[in-house]
Amino acid sequence: MTTPERTVMEDVDQPAEPPPADESAPACTFRVKNLSIWYGEKRAIDNVTLDIVSNAVSAIIGPSGCGKSTFIRALNRMHELVPKTRVEGTVLLHGEDLYSNDVDPAIVRRRVGMVFQKSNPFPTMSIGENVIVGLRLNGVRDRKFLNERLEKSLRMAALWDEVKDDLHKPGTSLSGGQQQRLCIARALAVEPEVLLMDEPCSALDPIATAKIEELIYELKAKYTIVTVTHNMQQAGRISDYTAFFYLGRLIEFGPTTKIFTNPSERQTEDYITGRFG
Amino acid sequence: MIAPKHILGTFDEVLASLRNNVLMMAGLTERSLERAMKGLFNRDDNLCANAIADDEEIDQLEIQIDRDGVAILLRFQPVASDLRRVVAAMKLSSNLERMADQATTIARRARKLNQHPPLPEVDLIRPMYEHAMSMLRDSVDAFVREDVDLGRAVVARDETLDELNRSASRKLIERMAQDPDQLRGYLNLIFIGRALERVGDHATNIAEDAVYAAAAEDIRHQTLAASA
Repeated sequence: MTTPERTVMEDVDQPAEPPPADESAPACTFRVKNLSIWYGEKRAIDNVTLDIVSNAVSAIIGPSGCGKSTFIRALNRMHELVPKTRVEGTVLLHGEDLYSNDVDPAIVRRRVGMVFQKSNPFPTMSIGENVIVGLRLNGVRDRKFLNERLEKSLRMAALWDEVKDDLHKPGTSLSGGQQQRLCIARALAVEPEVLLMDEPCSALDPIATAKIEELIYELKAKYTIVTVTHNMQQAGRISDYTAFFYLGRLIEFGPTTKIFTNPSERQTEDYITGRFG
Repeated sequence: MIAPKHILGTFDEVLASLRNNVLMMAGLTERSLERAMKGLFNRDDNLCANAIADDEEIDQLEIQIDRDGVAILLRFQPVASDLRRVVAAMKLSSNLERMADQATTIARRARKLNQHPPLPEVDLIRPMYEHAMSMLRDSVDAFVREDVDLGRAVVARDETLDELNRSASRKLIERMAQDPDQLRGYLNLIFIGRALERVGDHATNIAEDAVYAAAAEDIRHQTLAASA
């Protein structure tokens, strides 16, 4: 029996088999590959590869200066506000390269909202104006639409019932915890795809912290959330995945229960158990 | 593997104190079982009384370990290997306390046996005693040395103890039929055998907790889980 001869071109023309889709793998909002970031000569992020799972809370932990904040700021290009910044590697948001030349950083920041450590409502604006300022800056003028979005955002931030009769009062008249939820409402008003939080509870008392944590838990049904925290217990409570950074490198990333009961890396174990350095 | 020092010196101190209390409790439990069994083999009521008296101190240590464990969880909120060690220590103390209860049961039965002429069938209990005590020592060693292989080996040895107990019980039941006058004596030996079998079960629990503390691996009920 002879085997039919195959030409080289027949082999070449064969379409490449697509890799089998892993249906059990969770969907990812961000795919970060070989990301490095420099501030001038200083390398703040060193070759980080990490997938951020959709509709889940990912906590970034690590000692001060390990690159946590730089990493989440790189997810909406906010770190570029620091002069002499250089980026290598790719950050894909739903498959789209955020660092492609034709991508407008302002659009990225609208799609990827951010809440900061210290609540920062605009001091000259009322509570209501603070929430819809992003929409106004984007040219939205429809009063009915703005009012609907105002109420929806405040309700999602679990603040509506507390401020609905005081929308005209200054944003700065609220308590610290309320101001932080106002900032979350402001971030939600432009309907981002992702919410980044940089130590959102570090300046809050335990009750205000509990409200924000509960809010984060509810918001993950609709948003992908990435949060930086110094509070190990908080990371354990609110996050589904935890990433441990050290000296700009990603040491370990995995399900939070795994990281906090049986981390794979000795450095992670030493850090979370308080035996670092 | 020696862990680096905790940034809070007091945390290392309270963890060491918890561990020392578990070791002390294990030592007392072992002594109590030895006294109870020697009280049986040597027909010594004083040793039996000592074994029964040991129980009080062991009960107090159980309370102390639970209290210290809860305080550590509350004050330091340990995670990873620290959390596993604290949880395992608390579970160990519970198992050791139940072992000490078995020592009390053995001592009480031994005192009853000592009131009557010696039964040669006491020798049926000796291999069980030696096997159960080696399981106890090795399970505590597995916890102290964080020795996963030793922990697994202890778990595997429980089946042998169960078989020794079944065999001794069979023989004692046969003797009861042959010699009904000694029925109470044989029954007491059956209960002592059962108490040693329970000691083996608690040693198995400790070995399983030792494996969890050392390697975060839950090896309990694996036969059931595998067949499900």
